[in-house]
Amino acid sequence: MIRALGAFGLSVARLTGALALVLGRTALSLPSLDRRELMRSVVIFGFRSLPLALMAAMLIGSTVVLQAGVYAVKFGARLYTGWAAGYALTREFGPLLLGLVMAARIGARNAAELALLNINGQIEGLRGISLDPFRLLVAPRVVGSAIAITSLGSVTFLVAVCFEAISSYYSLGLPLRVFFNAFDEMLRVGDLIGGLAKTLAFGLAIALVSTVAGLRARGGAVGVGQASASAVVLSCAAIFSLDLLLTPFLTRLFS
Amino acid sequence: MSALLRIFGAPAILFVRTLAAIRRDGVNPRATMVQVVEMGSKSSLLILSGLAFFGAVMVTIAWAQARKYTGNITVVGPAYFELMVREFAPLLVAVLAASRVGASTSAELAAMSVNEQLEALELCAADPVSELVSPRLLASIISLPALMVIGTIAATTSASLVVTFAFGADGSAFTDARLLDPADIVCALVKAVCCGVFIPLAAAARGLKAKGGAPAVGEAVTAAVVDATMGCLLIDFVVAAAFLLIGV
Repeated sequence: MIRALGAFGLSVARLTGALALVLGRTALSLPSLDRRELMRSVVIFGFRSLPLALMAAMLIGSTVVLQAGVYAVKFGARLYTGWAAGYALTREFGPLLLGLVMAARIGARNAAELALLNINGQIEGLRGISLDPFRLLVAPRVVGSAIAITSLGSVTFLVAVCFEAISSYYSLGLPLRVFFNAFDEMLRVGDLIGGLAKTLAFGLAIALVSTVAGLRARGGAVGVGQASASAVVLSCAAIFSLDLLLTPFLTRLFS
Repeated sequence: MSALLRIFGAPAILFVRTLAAIRRDGVNPRATMVQVVEMGSKSSLLILSGLAFFGAVMVTIAWAQARKYTGNITVVGPAYFELMVREFAPLLVAVLAASRVGASTSAELAAMSVNEQLEALELCAADPVSELVSPRLLASIISLPALMVIGTIAATTSASLVVTFAFGADGSAFTDARLLDPADIVCALVKAVCCGVFIPLAAAARGLKAKGGAPAVGEAVTAAVVDATMGCLLIDFVVAAAFLLIGV
């Protein structure tokens, strides 16, 4: 029991230390970021995930209305569907579900790439010719995926709100004008900014966690698999914890 | 359309093959129990904490809005409880389980596949589908509903605790089952079982196809988790729409 507790404490300490190291080294190498690698990671993590993000946005938007809209009708608040659905989407479901989908797409991919470089000894190779792997490989990925997820987030919110409107037209018979009126009158810019701030935080968390998971990988094919699996799981855990920490703060800030 | 086929095609074929393998060889109960521990009990901590956090967040958000427009948060309690049981908890449990179970299953099977352990199994006259996939399928069908129950309890408990202690209102309204009827629970269980069938099949379809060294394993895991997550979102949407259409 004590041994298990101690092992758990050690692994938590190791993880926190590794996260702090990656964050610190990234921040230090921000001024001399490798432009080409940054662009590459924005394209790979952001642009190539666009179809997935759009598909997720369609599903998230229609699901939120399908699930919550029924209750709006039950409580006689059909006219406020635009407000309720828009608020739920920008504040909670949009960032959370996009974060979870992107943890799968970006987190697993980033961890797998870095783990591969690591077990093939290419990271030691970079050190061997006195190049800093953090400046060349890690920092551009962390910054690139944070940029990618935030911009995907804004596109996703837009598409998801459109699908919410369409879905409430078909399932509740609510005219589009009424939906967007409630959306316009009862939501503020702060709500949208709060949602995007959450998305940015989730993106940073995914990037950091998956980088740590990738750099810790040992052993051949099994190691790569474990690294990307643990990147996904740890990213999900980080997203839910950050959500809990950020929400009271953001609701106080923007309400 | 082609995206749909890509996500559901290979798992559907694998499903048919697994059913045939189960009819032919049966399922090894021991291997199934090992997988129940691997998929179910080892995911329970993630799902418990994730859903507890989610319940607290949802109630914080509801509180911020209720204070502005209705003034009294306990009014929304029973509706919150029904929504949580019927829609939100199954959705999030399914997505979390898709990440956790999908990633570990596909990583394991892909590593076996690139190390040619599947061919070794076939040489021993053992069918990889019946040895590897059927115990995982059965275990996941058993564990997903159980995980969903755990997640729902965690989400509602944390919500009522947060309302009671942080906002000083009556938290028991958030466990008020006034609006709940059997159809809600059936809807939640149908979602859990459908996702329980889909997740291991999607992961196994990607994992078993992995060929060629360590890069293939990374790609298989990424593709498997994406497939499993999107598939669960889609299943959730379809089941919710179906229950809405039959009007229960």
